[in-house]
Amino acid sequence: MRAPLSSDTVVVGVGNTILSDDGAGVHAARLLQGDPRVPVGVTILDGGTLGLGLMPYVSDASRVLFLDAVNMGEAPGTRVRMTGKDLLGASSGFSVHQLGVADLIAALALASAGPQDIVVLGVQPANTDWGTSLSPGVEASLSWMVDAALAQLLLWEGGK
Amino acid sequence: MARIVVDPVTRIEGHLRIEAEVDGGFITDAWSSGTMFRGIELILRGRDPREAWIWAQRICGVCTMVHALASVSAVEDALGIEVPENARLIRNIIAATQTIQDHVVHFYHLHALDWVDIVSALKADPAKTSQLAQSISDWPLSSAKYFKGVLDRIGALVASRQLSLFGSGYWGHPAYRLPPEANLIAVAHYLEALQFQKQFIRIHAVLGGKNPHLQTFLVGGMATSLDPNEPNATVNLERIDFLMEVAKSAQAFVSQVYIPDVLAVAGFYPDWFERGEGLGNFMCYGAYPQRSVKDPSNFFFPRGIILNRDLTKVYPVDPENVTEYVAHSWYEYSSGSSIAKHPYEGETNPKYTGPKPPYEFLEVGQKYSWLKAPRYQDKPMEVGPLARFLVAYASGQPDVKALVDSTLAALKAPPAALFSTLGRIAARALETQLLASRLVGWIQELAKNLSTGKLEIHNGKMWDPKTWPDTARGFGSFEAPRGSLGHWVEIENEAIKNYQAVVPSTWNAGPRDAHGQRGAYEAALIKTPVADPERPLELLRTIHSFDPCLACAVHMVDARGRMLGRAEA
Repeated sequence: MRAPLSSDTVVVGVGNTILSDDGAGVHAARLLQGDPRVPVGVTILDGGTLGLGLMPYVSDASRVLFLDAVNMGEAPGTRVRMTGKDLLGASSGFSVHQLGVADLIAALALASAGPQDIVVLGVQPANTDWGTSLSPGVEASLSWMVDAALAQLLLWEGGK
Repeated sequence: MARIVVDPVTRIEGHLRIEAEVDGGFITDAWSSGTMFRGIELILRGRDPREAWIWAQRICGVCTMVHALASVSAVEDALGIEVPENARLIRNIIAATQTIQDHVVHFYHLHALDWVDIVSALKADPAKTSQLAQSISDWPLSSAKYFKGVLDRIGALVASRQLSLFGSGYWGHPAYRLPPEANLIAVAHYLEALQFQKQFIRIHAVLGGKNPHLQTFLVGGMATSLDPNEPNATVNLERIDFLMEVAKSAQAFVSQVYIPDVLAVAGFYPDWFERGEGLGNFMCYGAYPQRSVKDPSNFFFPRGIILNRDLTKVYPVDPENVTEYVAHSWYEYSSGSSIAKHPYEGETNPKYTGPKPPYEFLEVGQKYSWLKAPRYQDKPMEVGPLARFLVAYASGQPDVKALVDSTLAALKAPPAALFSTLGRIAARALETQLLASRLVGWIQELAKNLSTGKLEIHNGKMWDPKTWPDTARGFGSFEAPRGSLGHWVEIENEAIKNYQAVVPSTWNAGPRDAHGQRGAYEAALIKTPVADPERPLELLRTIHSFDPCLACAVHMVDARGRMLGRAEA
């Protein structure tokens, strides 16, 4: 039971699957869980909205890929790739509004342990009301999120 | 007279806005507006009640298991299912673990910064810090060298301007009173608590599957395999050893770090035992069954209500008496806004009638919150660790009574001191201590069953829907870290007909009702001093003492650098 809870590379889908597009990252993670192209040994998790509660699952990993809904104020389905540093820098000086991925990344940095590489792949949601399905624009970006995640995993795999 | 607005209230889960009238340096009235939007029934209607918990655990982003537990309990209540002893024990272990974890994180990572000035910690002398730390606790991480290391790390963070989690504090505010050395101890323990919570929650990984969301709940028991000698069983003797080791490390951390820190903070801020009192009505559904789950009289935390601060009488709780008002909430009831409805008759028809953003103030005389206003027999109630402790204390629960009396004696404070901001903080810490000790006890009971071959963990008697009545109603409850959580399920023709959850923060953070009675936050803020209206640190102290959680909302990343709450419609 001393073993870490995750492997060296972890993919975490983040979001709430009962709030429509907010769950986009979790839907993408679930697709990856059944995808044979994912390199052996990668852990893929449904992280829900657990925030700091995800620490034990990511702090022992060297590389963490977050899949999440990201509000950019852009058209629904708009895609974004960020690094952990982008979010860490951005969160400094702002009010901490909710304890989510940005705070998790900050906490990992503060605990002076944690992953060397953090990448966030995001998609702009259209609708975050109660519901279990994605709106069309976000649904259309899901395959991009899966492909971009696979590309990132292969890049990390090659860099080992 | 001035109106101050705190929006968003920082270092909480979810989105909360407080408006308060300040006159002569004190709050004279307050309004709490939350964005928790209800409507879980929209997701659950028509589904198999045995699967309700899988969806319900997504209601809250933080303590998902409390909703899973309340949900399976509601369905078990509807179908008349008694769960086996091992399932009860494992549920108690999982739930106590969640509560201990939440309380530690709340104190160190969300609340401590209301009392601890990070910037002041930079002026601390490591040798003096070491002396102070050793004078209040035997905790081994207390050398001057250790504190020098913490000081260097914080210094580097401040220099790099990446204060991150510390970014939202009112550093240098005159209401901060700890000397630099005490501040440095608290910062060190903030960092230690980050490590602690990471290790401690592994109990859930053992009992719930290696997944952040527990996978092992089951209507009728648990889906955990029990076998003393089977290496692949979820619970075997080796795993019991591991659980025991983690539980004992929690006991050590709580008694040597958390409790001494709370007492030290209380020592510097004794006036906060006289502030933030609030409603004076407290409710607890009861939690942690020691025998049958159907008989609340055996629960470790008894079920009951305290009215008007009177600890000589405990009133019974009947879930039938819970209703919700929408008189000041952005919803419509088909029968009109002034009548309260029982959750079984619950409706969620949102209708936003507030000002169009951006606005300066809410229309507090009208509707002003997305939270409904729950009431018990038309009375507002405070829920949470303090409510649990007061009900248990007044009921004569021996563990609670002994712990409260000895703590009050050490602080030279009367029981009335509990009705306060610091009272909530103390109750939360003492509850953590008590649960850490019970956690060890429940693991021992589980080990005993394992070694005597008592392995039953699921009661499948009513699993088949063909055995169900045509219609059934059930109530499931749990005392979540933040307070009383109730789920109400109505089953018809083997499917969910209606489902409602009344969550703890609705009780505490809810708005006024049709009679104009304030909610718990609103009442607790009256008479709170505000030295600087631009930086209302004192207001945050009282609000944070409730451990606000309005996380039944979206958690998307905001690429502009902060997390977005649910947008106000």
